[in-house]
Amino acid sequence: MESEAAEKATSLIKIPITLEIPIGPQHPAIHEPVLLKVYADGEEVVGVDIGTGYNHRGVEKLLENNTFYKDKFITSRICGICNTVHENCFVRAVEYISGMEPSARARYLRVLVMELERIHSHMLINAIMAEIIGFDTLFMYIMRDRELVMKAKEIVSGGRVLAEFHMFGGVRRDIDDVKKEKILDILKKLEPRLKYYRRLFEEDPTITKRLMEIGILRPRDVVSHGMVGPILRGSGVKSDVRAEDRYDAYNEVPFNVIVKGEGDSLARMLVRWDEALESLEMCRYILEHLPSGSAVVDERKLPRVFPAGESFARVEAPRGELTYYIQHIKGDKPYRVKVRTPSFNNIINSGFSYLRHSIADVPVILVSYDPCISCMERAIVVDLKNGTEKKVTFRDIAMGKVRLR
Amino acid sequence: MSIIRDVIRNLLSKPITIEYPRKLTPIEKDFRGRHYADLKKCTGCSLCAIECPSNCISMEKLPENIKLRHNPRGLYPNINYMSCVFCYRCVKVCPVNAYITTNEYRLSSVKEVYSKELTIQTVG
Repeated sequence: MESEAAEKATSLIKIPITLEIPIGPQHPAIHEPVLLKVYADGEEVVGVDIGTGYNHRGVEKLLENNTFYKDKFITSRICGICNTVHENCFVRAVEYISGMEPSARARYLRVLVMELERIHSHMLINAIMAEIIGFDTLFMYIMRDRELVMKAKEIVSGGRVLAEFHMFGGVRRDIDDVKKEKILDILKKLEPRLKYYRRLFEEDPTITKRLMEIGILRPRDVVSHGMVGPILRGSGVKSDVRAEDRYDAYNEVPFNVIVKGEGDSLARMLVRWDEALESLEMCRYILEHLPSGSAVVDERKLPRVFPAGESFARVEAPRGELTYYIQHIKGDKPYRVKVRTPSFNNIINSGFSYLRHSIADVPVILVSYDPCISCMERAIVVDLKNGTEKKVTFRDIAMGKVRLR
Repeated sequence: MSIIRDVIRNLLSKPITIEYPRKLTPIEKDFRGRHYADLKKCTGCSLCAIECPSNCISMEKLPENIKLRHNPRGLYPNINYMSCVFCYRCVKVCPVNAYITTNEYRLSSVKEVYSKELTIQTVG
């Protein structure tokens, strides 16, 4: 009977069961320029397309066209919040090529600045999470206490946000006993506040109701989608570049890798609070056990030209594993600098995690990944002769199907 | 656990925000602020202009009434503070330590601000 009706039918009316909702690139709930094209069936999300490319600046090309010394300052501008880790990764990659060795004091000071940065980065994303779920009071309080860390960073490096602290073979500033006492004093004030916020995130019903069991990632999914950083550790996978590579002074400074097995948004935020507390202890240890000797390198005596070679460095940024690959052939400019930032993995591969949640949960899940879009925008191939743009997969580039030069 | 106790305590205490610009922001002495060249030391070697990552330093001719024995080429660096990123690469790379550094951070302006006047003031 049905087949008979289908044969006689002259027209077909299609009723869409999904509604397409664009979230971003400019949206009050999302602080970063990323487009989430959400397909919803009623309230339930049935598909998400992630669109990027709103913040592409051509940084890698810029790095190839400038000298290593200028590049050091350009790399720290790839991301504002985690500028020191970008600097550190680039500087270490160049040090591997040139064979320079920073002194013990310089290595300790580098770790100090990076850990201060980790504290304020984690405080920032927790504050944004509080704002996203409508808890503006908590947002204000966390941002108020974040100022303490910014002050500590100002004391160490001379800049609240952009530290400009690293230089090939050492650091650019040293700290004396007065500064050390000031920072220890700040850390003393900060510790109870961090513990308070951590407890608040764990126990406050407003937060737990909104974050618990939202965006659950199983360890298998996290590993197969190549996610890194607190997302990985929030899903019970113990992976931290600081513990695996033991670069700079991380082989001497004691710390624990924080792992939580729940895998939901709350677990990721609690991993960040615990890491901030761990970083605070590390900062305290570094200040109390700072080796003597010189740390500052004289920039006038550094070599202009580095030997040919290629190197690969990775670092644990607040958002996860950050890698730099540098190829150098001759002269004072690198031939190729490849940057892979943690947000690149975490955001582009995260489409599967929004499914079967309600639309109101989409910003919460996105913010729990700590997106940093300015970090990750570098995957469009532009043909300068014809003026056309095309997107290519990394697989095609790796297989040699696309010629980039 | 609730935040209400903390909120009530903060409502009764004085505000944490600073009434800028009526009150100045507390700032460290060695904050990377406005810097300019000292003509008593500068030799006009142009190294700072070559090394500047943001290309904000231009080497300019000294005014005709200023003749300096240690500066035979008669050049001095003029910093455009609007494009300067305050990385202090020029300060660190200067072979004669000719840069004077300050912690002055109030540099916002509707027009371009240069270090020309500050630098010329250092001589005479």
